Amino acid sequence: MATTAAAPSALREGRLGTLAGTGKLLRFQLRRARVYLLGWFAGLVGFNWLVAAGFPELYPTGAERAEFATTIDTPAMRSMTGPGEYLDVYASSIGAMFAHQMVLWVGAVVAVMFILLITRLTRADEETSRLEVIRSEPIGRRADLAAAILLAIVAAVALGLLMALSVRGMEGAGLEGSLLYGLNYTAIGIVFAAVTAAAAQLGSYASTANGMGFGVLGFAVLTSALGNAQENATVWFSPIGWAQVTFVFTPEHRWWPLLFAAAVAAVLFWWAFALVARRDFGQGLMPARAGRPEAKPGLHSISGLTFRLTRGLTWAAVVTMALLGAAYGSVIGSAADMLSGLSEAQQEIINQGGADYAENFASTISKIDAFFATIFGLLVIGRARKEETGGRGELLAAAPIRRSGWPGSYLPAALFTSGLATIVGGIFLALTGAASMNDGSYFGKILLASMLYLPAVWVMVALAYATLAWLPRAGWLRWLPWVYVFIVGYYGRVLELPDGAVNLSPFEHVSAYPAQDVEVLPVIVLFAIAAAFTALGYTGVRRRDLQFS
Amino acid sequence: MTAVIHTERLVKRFGHVTALDGLDLEVSEGQTHGFLGPNGAGKSTTIRILLGMLRADGGGAALFGSDPWSDAAELHRRLAYVPGDVALWPGLSGGETIDVLGRLRGGIDKRKRDELLERFDLDPRKKGRSYSKGNRQKVALVAAFASDVDLLLLDEPTSGLDPLMAAVFNEVVREVAAEGKTVLLSSHVMSEVEALCDKVSIIRKGVVVESGTLADMRHLSRSEVRATLKNPVRGLGDHEGVHNLKTDGLDVRFHVDGTALDDVLTQLAVVGITSLTCEPPSLEEMFLRYYGDELAAKGVENGDGD
Repeated sequence: MATTAAAPSALREGRLGTLAGTGKLLRFQLRRARVYLLGWFAGLVGFNWLVAAGFPELYPTGAERAEFATTIDTPAMRSMTGPGEYLDVYASSIGAMFAHQMVLWVGAVVAVMFILLITRLTRADEETSRLEVIRSEPIGRRADLAAAILLAIVAAVALGLLMALSVRGMEGAGLEGSLLYGLNYTAIGIVFAAVTAAAAQLGSYASTANGMGFGVLGFAVLTSALGNAQENATVWFSPIGWAQVTFVFTPEHRWWPLLFAAAVAAVLFWWAFALVARRDFGQGLMPARAGRPEAKPGLHSISGLTFRLTRGLTWAAVVTMALLGAAYGSVIGSAADMLSGLSEAQQEIINQGGADYAENFASTISKIDAFFATIFGLLVIGRARKEETGGRGELLAAAPIRRSGWPGSYLPAALFTSGLATIVGGIFLALTGAASMNDGSYFGKILLASMLYLPAVWVMVALAYATLAWLPRAGWLRWLPWVYVFIVGYYGRVLELPDGAVNLSPFEHVSAYPAQDVEVLPVIVLFAIAAAFTALGYTGVRRRDLQFS
Repeated sequence: MTAVIHTERLVKRFGHVTALDGLDLEVSEGQTHGFLGPNGAGKSTTIRILLGMLRADGGGAALFGSDPWSDAAELHRRLAYVPGDVALWPGLSGGETIDVLGRLRGGIDKRKRDELLERFDLDPRKKGRSYSKGNRQKVALVAAFASDVDLLLLDEPTSGLDPLMAAVFNEVVREVAAEGKTVLLSSHVMSEVEALCDKVSIIRKGVVVESGTLADMRHLSRSEVRATLKNPVRGLGDHEGVHNLKTDGLDVRFHVDGTALDDVLTQLAVVGITSLTCEPPSLEEMFLRYYGDELAAKGVENGDGD
């Protein structure tokens, strides 16, 4: 170019040109991301530490662990835990059992953390004008990506070391084993950071990049599950599988799968670096799809708009609940064998006072399904708040719509989503449950068991709506009741909570069908309570100021 | 003429901050009313009370004679609103957003919608998340102008528009006004308000400090007079309506109160005038007068101080 030829010295990109300023940006990004990182670290490491501390008490002796290992050595259970190699050494190594149960799920959460971290540091900043300001500084074209990647690597290593530290107290967890266990998560984090860094160059928006990242995560969980269920090489398609096949805390433990993960990450990072210089600022390499120039005729009411806006969440609920229901249902048949292998403490959690192990188990997992279904209802309620503070509600509040229409339409949307989640979860639980029992009559039983929780789910959703109406700023208050009922439902008996505390949870009043008979009164009372919270909520939204940005 | 908007001693507090402190505003039917004030003066708060999004803590507000809080939904059938900071749904295209907002109001005139899209040069196929600030504003403007309403509440609607689009906006507002619709235009672009508005209210710290037609306001404020005289004039500086008098030989320059203009010009005519210009104050000068003390506190001279 003429200008380059005329003034070659000052503005020419030097060898470090496109990376100039990476160090400064790294410090800046670290400062911005510190709360995010500390929050995730505290959650992940704290959870890991708690489970590591409590695990040995569940299975104190090697004989108990060996018995448990034989009962869960089925394709279905392996798909939800990990490779069979760990099962072989349950008796001799608590660590192996711990890692076997933890790596897949904790690894998936670590992946979520790094997907979100990379998009928020790269594309999300591009969509606002924040990164534009930074790019106008004497900073290279690749510097922000380089800083984001470096930050992710530093965070992944720090997380790995903390995870290693958190299992050191466990019996038989040596220095090397603990380190390998922790670095498993470092590897998962770095691979997903690399996947997202590449996706961020391809996708036209931050949300597209997130979507691609989560798509790869879904693929990783699926291939790990398939590979471990069938004990074949499919597990090698899964970045989470690479962490599982280190066989940490077993005598066969090995480091090289982590090197493999590092190599894959390096290739993806290199690709992202090549792509970032080839695309325009604020644009992905894949062109954005144009939207429709006019709205569909059906989109004409506030409820239509609300359902359209929460459609993505509803689909996520359907898919998640179908998978969850199918996974849980497939093990009902082996529940009898499995439960006899559980420690007394674990049996206590599952026991619903029925005679039959399978029936106890069916009513317990119906409850767990209902907890998950509730989450989706609460997420929809959270959307209402986001619409309000995000300023979009201002356009709707100026339309001829009553408050019961907006933000009121989010309650029916939340009831719909959580109800659909409960039904879908119940159907898949019943289908695979009946199949695993080889007894068609179980379909109706299990489906009814799930449906009995619907009023309890709606009580929670309506309560969240009432808090949105009366205490809109306190977002945590919408989630606190869920955490409470989950703890009561899951650990209430282990923690020996007083009756009064247990009875506060609507889920504890639902009949534990099929272990016990169906009582109609709780169903009616719970519906009435849900209706009362609904009325309270609608009164609240009519009374208060709306809050925009 | 009936009042479309009427507020009386309107008060709104947020915690211990008083946003509106006894605000009186009156907009009559068919008027294009300018609502002037710097950021934080209370313009948006007033509009949000009129829209029933916020509840007033004191005083009264009426829209078409009804209570904007309790009759919000019915009243909104008759009005359209463009917020100062337009946020759109990231997953909906501009066209979808315009249609949805129009249909919520009971239907949209497709011909008018397409014509406005054309005039504002807006691509309706883009998704909400990829529009710039100006384009987001255009989406809200098209939705508002395409709807068949009696009142338009526009909160700094041109802050993100380029000069070409601002000109289109001015043209559309004039058309709407010609149809007899009422417009409340909050703005701090003086030229826009001067060009469009019949009446102006200046708001300061939650109170309307001046309200009237531009002509009235001009009459009440000072014009700048420059004159070259044939003979020296004496006693001009003693006149109570004359301010900032500067004399350079036979050239004089001063500001004169609208009420004293008659008197002072007579005095000049007595000594003989070679040339004379008399400039009424611009809206900007009038506006700055009300904020003179604030500017002085910041060390800025408004050029019109006493």
